[in-house]
Amino acid sequence: MKTNTTAEIFFERLTQWPKTIILIGLLLIIATGSFIPTLQKDTRSDAFMPPDHPALIYRDKVQEIFGLKDPMVIAVVNDGEHGIFNPQSLALVEWLSFELEEIANIDPDRITSLATENDVIGTEDGMLVEPFFEETPTTQQEADAIRTAVMDFPLFVGSIAARDGSATLIVAELENQAAAQATYQTLLELVERAPKGEGDSIHVAGEGAVSGYMGAYIDADAKRLNPIAALIITFVLFIAFRTLRGTLLPNLVVLGTVASALGLMAAFGVPFFVITNALPVVLIGIAVADSIHIMSQYYEEVAQHPKASSQQLAVQSMVKMWRPITLTTLTTMAGFLGLSIASIMPPMEYFGIFAMIGVAVAWLYSMTVVPAFLTLLKPKQSKAFQATTTSNNHKGIDKFGQVMSFLGRFVIKRPGAVLTIGAVVIIGGIVGATKLELNEARITIFQKDEAIVKADHAINSHLDGAHYLDIVIETPNVEDLFKPEHLQRIESLQNYVTTLPHVNGSTSIVDYLKQMNRALNNDDKAAYQLSDNAEIVAQQFLLYSASGDPSDFEKEVDYDYRLANVRVRLDTGLYSAGKAVVEAVEHYLDTNFNDSDIKANLSGRVNIDYHWIKSLGDSHFYSVAISLLLVMTMAALSMRSAIAGFITVVPVAVSVLLIYAVMGFSNIWLAIGTSMFAAIAIGLGVDFSVHTIERLQVLIKKEGRTIDEAITALYPSTGRALLFNFAALTLGFSVLTTSEVVPLTRFGALIAVAVSSSFIASMTILPALIKVLKPRFIGLEKTASTKPQLNFTPSKEKE
Amino acid sequence: MKKINIIAALILTLITPMTFAAALPSGDEIAHNINARDEGLSVSRMVVMEMTDKRGKQRIRKTRGFRKYFGDEKRTVIYYLTPKNVKDTAFMTYDYADASIDDDQWLYLPAMRKVRRISASDRGDYFLGTDFTYEDIKNETKVSIEDYTRKTMGEEVIDGHRTFIVESIPVDKITAKELGHSKVKQWVDAEIWMARKAEFTSLRNKPLKTIYTKEIKQVQGIWTAHRLEVENQKTGHATKFIFSDIDYQKEINDDLFTERALRRGL
Repeated sequence: MKTNTTAEIFFERLTQWPKTIILIGLLLIIATGSFIPTLQKDTRSDAFMPPDHPALIYRDKVQEIFGLKDPMVIAVVNDGEHGIFNPQSLALVEWLSFELEEIANIDPDRITSLATENDVIGTEDGMLVEPFFEETPTTQQEADAIRTAVMDFPLFVGSIAARDGSATLIVAELENQAAAQATYQTLLELVERAPKGEGDSIHVAGEGAVSGYMGAYIDADAKRLNPIAALIITFVLFIAFRTLRGTLLPNLVVLGTVASALGLMAAFGVPFFVITNALPVVLIGIAVADSIHIMSQYYEEVAQHPKASSQQLAVQSMVKMWRPITLTTLTTMAGFLGLSIASIMPPMEYFGIFAMIGVAVAWLYSMTVVPAFLTLLKPKQSKAFQATTTSNNHKGIDKFGQVMSFLGRFVIKRPGAVLTIGAVVIIGGIVGATKLELNEARITIFQKDEAIVKADHAINSHLDGAHYLDIVIETPNVEDLFKPEHLQRIESLQNYVTTLPHVNGSTSIVDYLKQMNRALNNDDKAAYQLSDNAEIVAQQFLLYSASGDPSDFEKEVDYDYRLANVRVRLDTGLYSAGKAVVEAVEHYLDTNFNDSDIKANLSGRVNIDYHWIKSLGDSHFYSVAISLLLVMTMAALSMRSAIAGFITVVPVAVSVLLIYAVMGFSNIWLAIGTSMFAAIAIGLGVDFSVHTIERLQVLIKKEGRTIDEAITALYPSTGRALLFNFAALTLGFSVLTTSEVVPLTRFGALIAVAVSSSFIASMTILPALIKVLKPRFIGLEKTASTKPQLNFTPSKEKE
Repeated sequence: MKKINIIAALILTLITPMTFAAALPSGDEIAHNINARDEGLSVSRMVVMEMTDKRGKQRIRKTRGFRKYFGDEKRTVIYYLTPKNVKDTAFMTYDYADASIDDDQWLYLPAMRKVRRISASDRGDYFLGTDFTYEDIKNETKVSIEDYTRKTMGEEVIDGHRTFIVESIPVDKITAKELGHSKVKQWVDAEIWMARKAEFTSLRNKPLKTIYTKEIKQVQGIWTAHRLEVENQKTGHATKFIFSDIDYQKEINDDLFTERALRRGL
């Protein structure tokens, strides 16, 4: 025994109590895993915003004043001759409106439909406020009369009833958005047993329904995806090692990693968000990587030293691998840290944090439980590594090793060509990045043939749309809104808003006042306008209250007549469309509306989405920059060389640029799902370059080989291990592409491409770069040293 | 001997509440007693209407009201005094004794100088933005005999007064729908025959609203509630009517109850 390194002493001590270590490892899995059943889902869009965001706080204030919670929107569609204005369809609307009141979590006072709303009719000597139908119509004639009445009330045309009469909406506000999934299910059951007439179809959509739908969707997806990912990775492991331990040990690390990350999420009360679905797959890929490298080294050691004891083999494998594994753990954690600190969105912050925890746990298990098991198990050769001989380990050990060696020879011969191709990819990436579009639409989360997508389409094509922008008008004094100049200003605002693309209508107290004014003037169509006298307005409200409900204008004006809400209807939830409208309205308000007597602010779903998706774009590029910087710093510090840090991030930078190119050229949006790819791709992809550089450093600096010798030696061993590391990651992420959740599909595909490209870059551009640049940190002088100076590989002396 | 005593005591304890229960007046008797109470031939009074929404925002309206019986027909007129923008607005009703004839209602809007007829509203409709329905306003502290079947449920002391608990159920579904509720539970003062409290149940059998009758004092020998309060459990809205300057003897001209008088104002 020669002088032992600190690492050797550490691992020898550690492997003296293998059973204790394994027991502690298993207990930890059970302890953290026991929390997992308490995980709570959070599928609200609001979850993507920090709860103290001004837009959210304002929205909540507005909700308190006007109600206006995210609704379930039920559409009854009938494409028959009379549309929905036939006795059966109207009876159905009434039935649904009535039954909805009984559903838990639906606010019984906030159901709006043709069956609940009042008509304002002018009579010979007065005004009448009465329901569109008091009794369910029984004849077509009665239904026709209702059609005439509804179509004569502009406020309801397009909002509640389709302009062509083919559809009508029942809008029901939820009391608690978090319980949307259960409410949505109950609603579907209600729709199932609803007494539909001939030609009637019922659709359920709306923000409430989307949240509800998503809950079930994610559940089903996660239950399917994670087992498949685990199976595929197990298969990769079997191909790599063709032994039971080689297949099962990495899976144990996976179990520990996933259990602790998800278990701790649950223990800290962090909810399971839409994007958290990707976390287990990411963790499986990372967890398995560390052990692939250890097992590869282990089997190399077994092949080289068939007579060594189990403990010696375990210790020697760890002595060689602890440094690259620790390095990749630190750089991967740096990548996730970047994601976490750059994002203002809680789901992404938590994703970063718990991915970091997972990476750390994977390292811990790989450093302790894996050598402990290897110490307990009798040494056994792997068929995949049997070809290795002690004298010549440069040669390919199996087909995979041979393929990698071939690649190595190409890099040695043509470094210039390799770097040129790399440069082309970088340029292409930059061009693609300029074409990148930030966009999002919540409905695109689902496959096109899902009921919710069809419902959304039906509603937005038949009616004005069920995507709402709220414009909240504020005046300083009680009853200021009776003033004609203020009402006229609101009217002009509404007129302007309806000229914007995707805006099909708006509703405010002004529309009611115009209807009342008309009714008071013998239903004269020309009198459908605002009165020019504040007292008339006040008295019109009083007259209305003579037969209306005290809470009738709750959604439009507050009790003091100081605040009003204009609800604007858009036919799309697309961010780009919402952005155009929000920015145009903001500009209009600043230039044509706001003054000291009246001002307006935006709220509603469209405004909320505008704010958080806008910040998605900013935080994406910020997180890429931070992640790259952190990874670079970590690599530079560990290898005590700035140039080492720079070279380490080259392959991942190339892969990120390549993804931008793919996204830019194939019109994949930078959206919730896709925006996370970069930071994750950096964290995962950097492993390949760290392993490559670390091994080259050992081969050149410590073993004193030439650069070409080192590269030749690199490919069949480290290169082969990286190939399986890459295969496990790519195949694991490919599983995500079979997801039903469209953004996850894209996310999986992008990560798979990113991981592939950073693997290829690490195996081509990186060695070529080192060969050309000859950096000092790797152990190369201006002219490569030819003589071995020191030989620190302890395994050789140990025998 | 002992055994017989125990049995006797048992029988006595069983019988006692029953005999008391039997002593309670029937629901219909209570209703008739309520409606037999004197409420004067005419009255003049100030009414402050205080409406509060669920967020605590208030609308306060001061009115002067007159009511007069023309035989079995009851005529009412209310003039708004404040706020300024509804000043001189006036509301008038003719409640006909014959239930089959719809009551007539008019609203005078001074800003438009027009008297508007309010078409026969449902009895269960809310009255001018308050939590009282037209039916509540029409009955004031009386009850409508033919709309309900009644049952005396027991008795209870409310604010130190003995009351009978009467449960009234609308006679049929149509009536229930018209009235806008499925049940009323009243606590009727056993001495002066005025309900001190009434709980309404919605058509869906949920709490709807509660009316409290407060500050019941004699004015010119007539038992008069000086305060009516409604809490609407369904909407969170609340209404208070505060009466003052009540005069049952003031001469009220018949001409006050005409469209011309509405236009002329007070």
